[in-house]
Amino acid sequence: MEVHSGDYRARARRIIEETPEVREAVTAATRTFVEHRLEAFADLDEDALSHWAERVKSHALTHLADYLEEAEARLVERGAHVHWAESASDVHRILERIVRDNGVKKVVKAKSMLSEEVGLNPFLESCGVEVLETDLGEYIIQLFGEPPSHIVGPSIHRSLDDIRAIFHERLGTPRDASPERLAAAARELLRNAFLTAEMGISGGNFLVAETGSIALIENEGNIRLSTSVPRIHVALVGIEKVLPKWDDLSIFLQVTAKSATGQPVGCFVSIIQGPGGSAAGEPDGPEELHVVLVDNGRSRLLADPEVWEALRCVRCGACLNICPVYRQTGGHAYGYVYSGPIGAILAPGLVGLEETLPLPFASTHCGACKDVCPVRIPIPDLLHVWRKRAVERGLTSGVERSVLGLWASVVTRPALFGLAEKVAGLIPDQVVRHLPMLREWSAGRELPRATGRTFRELWDEGIE
Amino acid sequence: MSRDARERILSRVRDANRDREPVSHPGPLPEAAEPPGPFTQAADAEVDGQTGVADPVDAFENRLRAAGGEVVRLADKAAVRAWLKEFASEFESVSVCKGVPQGLQPELAAAAPSEASLGVSLAVGAAAQTGSLLLSSREGRQAQLLPPVHLVWVRAQDVHTTLGEALQACREDLPATLALHSGPSKSADIGQILVTGVHGPGRIIAAILGADA
Repeated sequence: MEVHSGDYRARARRIIEETPEVREAVTAATRTFVEHRLEAFADLDEDALSHWAERVKSHALTHLADYLEEAEARLVERGAHVHWAESASDVHRILERIVRDNGVKKVVKAKSMLSEEVGLNPFLESCGVEVLETDLGEYIIQLFGEPPSHIVGPSIHRSLDDIRAIFHERLGTPRDASPERLAAAARELLRNAFLTAEMGISGGNFLVAETGSIALIENEGNIRLSTSVPRIHVALVGIEKVLPKWDDLSIFLQVTAKSATGQPVGCFVSIIQGPGGSAAGEPDGPEELHVVLVDNGRSRLLADPEVWEALRCVRCGACLNICPVYRQTGGHAYGYVYSGPIGAILAPGLVGLEETLPLPFASTHCGACKDVCPVRIPIPDLLHVWRKRAVERGLTSGVERSVLGLWASVVTRPALFGLAEKVAGLIPDQVVRHLPMLREWSAGRELPRATGRTFRELWDEGIE
Repeated sequence: MSRDARERILSRVRDANRDREPVSHPGPLPEAAEPPGPFTQAADAEVDGQTGVADPVDAFENRLRAAGGEVVRLADKAAVRAWLKEFASEFESVSVCKGVPQGLQPELAAAAPSEASLGVSLAVGAAAQTGSLLLSSREGRQAQLLPPVHLVWVRAQDVHTTLGEALQACREDLPATLALHSGPSKSADIGQILVTGVHGPGRIIAAILGADA
């Protein structure tokens, strides 16, 4: 997909000012997710679980090449085709080949953030293939022509009324249709697509090296259908999705679901080892399975000693749900497929810091994201690394740099600092409010008043 | 092209890890940290000297019901026959998965999975921890997915306490796809309002067969 993260500030402003209902919808939905998550972890030793999960993922990442080879060998033994893609254009070439070789005209897609990352839908459409998103939320945003706003709930920024209106326009449902009626309309249309598509495309939540298994978590059944009914199944899997052992899977399935929606596990989980149908001597299922292992910036991120831990992410969305900044705008402001705190550290790593610059600054650094991460990614620390690099590379504004430089030289000299405190007390609020950098910051806040007395004077008097 | 991409990715990954201290695998999760099912709430129950863990079948039933599934427990063949006859009367046609024994097939007109009003399958196992039924693609997947109602037979002795145990029991002989069904198909994507039966079956009924059934 195209990256628009450079416009973060303008996009965020536009969303907040022009579509205030987005903030309302996103805040309500994420609050619900947070409540459910809290209930799910209430009777658990969350600390022990997250330490364990962190270790397993870090182990997998520090032995990644071996595990990728192991997973590939197991998949090939079962008759799957394994492809390796370094970039989005590699993924396109691989898919184009499969589509052309098999005369594919219609594709049903199960939700995959990676497919968004590599811009797969527009590419397939340019090859003359009809692409239907089948996750209800993904289908809704496809009707709106929008990217997902949330990793788990792609349409959380859309209200029932928005969805009623677009379904009325596109599917002819009544203007006041109930959610059940809307879902039934989508079910009918997509059911026909499942039965007629030649190919299904999915992502992969986990790739178990020991058994070559691709695990997929969902609630609707559309992933099971997409990976079971069409003749060909293509799974796009990021190379960081590896789990070492079969025995690791049960806990990761649960931890991911609990962190995402508070469920014990998704209503449906598919654990796929190879093609089905006559290839496997089974009554049905896809005759061909293609697994595309995608790098697209991940190996570069792995090589970065300061930020590689971001690759532990299981895409549960818990850090988005808890984030006070994400809640104001939803995901679209971020201009990238991954939004919220995790997006703000993945985007500069996968795309580049220059292209995604304001994102590491789209945070209050409150640290809530770190507390909810099921694999203990130190998100605030990684945000800080990217901010530090932005400053070192001279990517922040000149005004900011000179003001902070001045600040640093004042606060590191006690006499000068004392003088500055006295002087600050003489400057009227109105002037302070219009100083560069403080203008934006003070727009929505009460300014602390300088009293004209120094900290040392107050200290000597004793603070009540 | 693909071959080269493979070598380049793997070599970049190896280079990336070259100077990094390898992290060891922590081994299995300590049992005390296992996510409990609802079964620990039955603190008065005692099984195999372990306090707080009730019968896994009870726990499985609680968990699946909490997710919106239905559960029926049938002690013997007579109970199965009587219940199945009554249950089948709600439906017009059925699609039965391969491997479901004759005595567990409802007397209904057979139909293609996309046409049938009921799908019937036999689980290879179940997990109390998550209320999951484990289904194998070897018995055919479409009857598990396309009909609006899914009846799943499961033997009481195949109900494991944890999901890990249930998966471990399948480890040696994995089908093309092993699936977990842990509730009816549902979605909250329309304005955060819960809707069931979106793509997969909107009703799932676990029929648990006792030792004499």
